[in-house]
Amino acid sequence: MRRTVYLDYAATSPIRPQVRGAMGPFNDAAFGNPSSIHAHGRDARVAVEAARRRILGALGVSDGRLIFTGSGTESDNLALLGFGRRHPDARIICSAVEHKAVIAAAAALQARGRQVHSIPVNEHGVLDLQVLEALLSAEERPTLVSVMWANNETGVVQPIERVAALCQARGAILHSDAVQAMGKLDFRLGDTAVQMLSLSAHKLGGPKGIGALVVCGPVELEPLVYGGGQESGLRSGTENVAGIVGFAEAVAVSSAERERESARLHALRDRLEAGLREALPEIVVNGAAAPQRLPHITSISIPDVDIESLLTALDLEGVCVSSGSACTTGSVEASHVARAMGLDGDWARNTIRLSLGWGTEAEDIEYVSATLPKLVRRIRDFTARA
Amino acid sequence: MSANNDRDRPRVLVAMSGGVDSSLAAALLKEQGYELIGATIKTFCYAEHPGSSKTCCGLEGIADARSVAQRLDIPHYVFDLEDEFTRDVIDDFVAEYAEGRTPNPCVRCNSHTKFRDLLRRAQMLGCDRIATGHYARCERVDGRVRLMRAADRSKDQTYFLWGIDRTVLERLELPLGELTKTEVRRRARQLGLQTADKPESFDICFVPDGDYRGFLAQRLSPDHDAFLPGPITTLAGERVGTHQGYSRFTVGQRRGLPGGFSEPMYVVDIEPQTRSVLIGPADALEATRVTIADQNWLADPPPIGSAVSVQVRHRGHEVAGLIEDSGAERTVIRLHGSHRAITPGQSAAVYDGEVLLGGGRIARERRLLPIAST
Repeated sequence: MRRTVYLDYAATSPIRPQVRGAMGPFNDAAFGNPSSIHAHGRDARVAVEAARRRILGALGVSDGRLIFTGSGTESDNLALLGFGRRHPDARIICSAVEHKAVIAAAAALQARGRQVHSIPVNEHGVLDLQVLEALLSAEERPTLVSVMWANNETGVVQPIERVAALCQARGAILHSDAVQAMGKLDFRLGDTAVQMLSLSAHKLGGPKGIGALVVCGPVELEPLVYGGGQESGLRSGTENVAGIVGFAEAVAVSSAERERESARLHALRDRLEAGLREALPEIVVNGAAAPQRLPHITSISIPDVDIESLLTALDLEGVCVSSGSACTTGSVEASHVARAMGLDGDWARNTIRLSLGWGTEAEDIEYVSATLPKLVRRIRDFTARA
Repeated sequence: MSANNDRDRPRVLVAMSGGVDSSLAAALLKEQGYELIGATIKTFCYAEHPGSSKTCCGLEGIADARSVAQRLDIPHYVFDLEDEFTRDVIDDFVAEYAEGRTPNPCVRCNSHTKFRDLLRRAQMLGCDRIATGHYARCERVDGRVRLMRAADRSKDQTYFLWGIDRTVLERLELPLGELTKTEVRRRARQLGLQTADKPESFDICFVPDGDYRGFLAQRLSPDHDAFLPGPITTLAGERVGTHQGYSRFTVGQRRGLPGGFSEPMYVVDIEPQTRSVLIGPADALEATRVTIADQNWLADPPPIGSAVSVQVRHRGHEVAGLIEDSGAERTVIRLHGSHRAITPGQSAAVYDGEVLLGGGRIARERRLLPIAST
């Protein structure tokens, strides 16, 4: 029998059974359009607004808006482009290790004449607060700072409280991509001066195709999509009702389990890293010395191995992990995150990400700890003969 | 832990270009019960060459290979061998033209990228063997492997395979060796493979528009000797014209030469040192020997005096000859009768009957004209 070990939860996760159950009726009899005034529509509207309240409640937000979007990427785009288009003299400051959704949206704004700055990170992947502080004190104009709560490739958690304090002192708006952090960290948005937060359902065991941007306080945004004025006019289009319901359920389940599940994944992840380090002492765990990492992600650089062959060999042994960003024809490119952390070309390219989730079990970790070093040695063996 | 691969079945990696031949090769191997893995070799960056999707290894090829693999229910991967291909094939192609020779990049690709590098990658993935859709046969007798001409002689591709390593041969499967092209297409249609009626590609895959001079000019500097004017000289030493770069010429070519001679004139040699293109009448192209360098033997090298046959171009006939001299660097084959336009840089494949013994690159002869053919 072929064994499959899925260690790519940071890419996406299987849908939790509870989520599937909650969504069921909305893919079936409860098919209404929330904008309709009849009974079907009213039922759908009730479900959407209940879901909105559930998610905001889980975040501890009492005074804020939540705009459902199609993905975490769309949420990031709404935050950056929405702000940048609203303010012709806007300034955007984002970290060098942001998700491509933020980096590409910032680049698009730069092409339209907005000022864009990138803040470097140190070797542990942590944002340079001094650079941020200097940038913030330089000028008085509408400024959006975008710093992810935790990195999707390394799991390194950014000092969001301190970033928020700096932004607050200078009147800058802070956006944070919390797509990976949600469900793993105990964050109550009400305690932190973050005005915008991007979320996504499918990393939590929810469905794909549904994300959200939470907006707290007086932030003015231009919509990206115009039409019937749904989602407070910021995201027109008939709501993805089943997705929204599933999203809220995934948030509820992961919040309820968070403490126990994070501790469980943390222990498994540490065991995985220890096992791999024991077999392959030459590997580097990126961001290992950062003050805080997400419990479920590990980013490992392995020297002297053809990484494309390793990913393929792992797949053939049933182990699903990911590398840096893949190009259209499936080859591997160096990750911008690894490069931003100062890893040189080969190290950056030779990086893989393993990420655990609600379905990961101890024997999965044992299998990968045994299999991966074996494959690395086999590949090195044939490289040496060339 | 439970092993993933049932190791009682050999794990075989099949190179899938997205064409009909390798698609059927994969299907046949699947029928034979191997644990099969499909791979498409990516040889250069398609994004920089958008016009290339029509060739066998363009993006379309990758998509076709992927969908055939899906149909066969085998995993499929893209192997990025761009660096290796550039080093071993493209750089060599350019260097050979710069030296006034006419290279055969497909032979280089087979000798290096498509078999040696592929096998190395395959072994990294725990494969025991590799397979391709070439028209040739691997015959295993008494623990030795012989590479034989394809049953369908009109499609035989052994000419391109003289440069592969013997270690590769030991781990090679060629499932199409006994089939004709018509049978291949018929069986591919029967199996519902979407590539069954795909046209064949003939271009050099990295020069999809056929403009190899433009390609050379990009790689060499535009003021390289190969593009500069030089003398057109007869064998008697008379300068009869000026050419616009010897990269436009190949031995045996008539086009682009000055007229006014009593008989048709052909390129008989190119001298890069003086940028000269030497021309002569048809019989000056006749040679009675082939000297091969950069040789590779898939069997024991034939001793001096042994009777062989030699093929000097893809669709050419083989010519009978005798090994006249044989060494580590060069082998000289004396032909029965004479042979036309033996082109330096092209491949000579040496056979014993149906068996491919090996081959090499045709070396430039010091003297092309037999003084007196006796």
